[in-house]
Amino acid sequence: MKKVISLQTLFAILYFALGMGLLLAAWAWVSHITKNEVPSPSLTWKVFQEVMQSPFQNDADVKGIGTKLLSSLGRVGIGFGLGSLLAVPLGLLLGSNIRLMNIFNPIIQILKPVSPLAWFPLGLAIFKDSPKASIFMIFICCIWPTLINTAMGAASVPPDHKNVSKAFAFSPLKYITKILLPYTLPHIITGLRLSIGVAWMVIVAGEMLSGGMGLGYFVWEEGFNGGSIEKILVAILIIGSVGLLLDKAFIALEKKLSYAQ
Amino acid sequence: MIAAPTTVLNTAGLDATLPKSLVAKTNHTATDTPLSIDIQNVTVSFKTNEGVYTAVKNISLQVKKGEIISLIGHSGCGKSTLMNTISGMVSPSEGTVLANQKKVTGPGPDRGIVFQNYSLLPWLTVYQNIFVAVDSVMKNKSKADKIALTENGLKMVNLWPHKDKLPGQLSGGMKQRVAIARAFSINPSILLLDEPFGALDALTKSAMHIELLKLWNLDHREKTIILVTHDIEEAIFLSDRVVVLNNGPAATIKEIVDVPLARPRNKKDIVHDPEYMRIHDKLLGLLMHKLSIND
Repeated sequence: MKKVISLQTLFAILYFALGMGLLLAAWAWVSHITKNEVPSPSLTWKVFQEVMQSPFQNDADVKGIGTKLLSSLGRVGIGFGLGSLLAVPLGLLLGSNIRLMNIFNPIIQILKPVSPLAWFPLGLAIFKDSPKASIFMIFICCIWPTLINTAMGAASVPPDHKNVSKAFAFSPLKYITKILLPYTLPHIITGLRLSIGVAWMVIVAGEMLSGGMGLGYFVWEEGFNGGSIEKILVAILIIGSVGLLLDKAFIALEKKLSYAQ
Repeated sequence: MIAAPTTVLNTAGLDATLPKSLVAKTNHTATDTPLSIDIQNVTVSFKTNEGVYTAVKNISLQVKKGEIISLIGHSGCGKSTLMNTISGMVSPSEGTVLANQKKVTGPGPDRGIVFQNYSLLPWLTVYQNIFVAVDSVMKNKSKADKIALTENGLKMVNLWPHKDKLPGQLSGGMKQRVAIARAFSINPSILLLDEPFGALDALTKSAMHIELLKLWNLDHREKTIILVTHDIEEAIFLSDRVVVLNNGPAATIKEIVDVPLARPRNKKDIVHDPEYMRIHDKLLGLLMHKLSIND
């Protein structure tokens, strides 16, 4: 048994390494043909080491990359948290009641496609505060996957389960806790996973607009305005890795809860 | 011979008030006992996109306490719909259904239901599946009472060793036993079984017939059981009377066949009983039109 598992992980590592190798090769090639406008991996690695020095420095005018990352994550956390608090109950409600769904659906369809970059100025106008506007922007962009997935789950409760509730005269609370929530949980987690992906993407865009703190601001200010494309690439790598970790965390959560089923 | 007059009277919708000596085999309760189930001229129609679909029409049926009745007929003839009017999952468009002399307006604790697809909640253990039903229905009982009822139900169907398993870990027969335990545990006076053994293999099905009758017997044959089935042998083995429905739509009762076979019935001996063979032939004739490749 143990042998089979390590063989599987071996292959997983191999595929990952091959993928990364391909990426590095493509990067080096692009760098070469743009005559180093796009810095090579080796140049970028040097800058990466610089950037990673004292990552959690938090002085008034000098902040490490780790501090910036945490500040971005913090705003994502609040926006995502607030968004999920709204999206999950609302999704359950809309999924269970087709009339409410028909009323709310046009609202969802109209607001969903709007770019975060349009919400941000609105947030600024309302809150007159950059971090708060960022949180508003994350909130309004990341509720949709959770809302839609949760509603879809709640609308698809099998008649068999509903029959049990009817036959044994379940109270509404019992129906929600013993049937609706357990059934919809995988849908909710999927929605949350998609939402955190959106939220993480949105924060970088927003920080570029807002100025101040965070990874997005680092990309714009120190990378672009500062003329260091290497720093942009470093930021891209960090953003990508954090996004990957967040996604994997939710996948692990999905697996853990579905095993219980 | 003896069965024929009762059958004729039952079909005409009249009470079988024959002398006691003739009734003894079929009727193990007094003839003036109040009815367990009284279906009064019930019609069930549904609104569909193509118009009104009538499932069953002008059905009247009287069931005494402790009787086991089978509803049999071709697919789509409305047997489940008719049973749903007794369980309260469906409201009749015309007519009334009385269960325990009270009008049926919805599901209730006096009627236990076993579904065709077991309908166990996959995220709850065997124990929790039964407990949640007991907890919901027996509102006035203490937690200790509810726990006792759940334990009792599990032990009755010999599933106590499996109480912490999830439905996904059980075989079809075991899942159905849980569903039956769940229906029995709320201690209903009427048990409604909708093709409960349809999804099981023939051997398990046979074993389940015996288990069901054992449970019924343990309860002093007081529970009224209505069973929807396709299986003629099952219907005869279990029932006191077999209600044959016409084909849908707007299905009516074709005939009610008496099964005056003595209890307890034996799977092996029953097939050699001439009375059984007569009833079997009769039901076969009512339900099937082609009996060989030459028909």
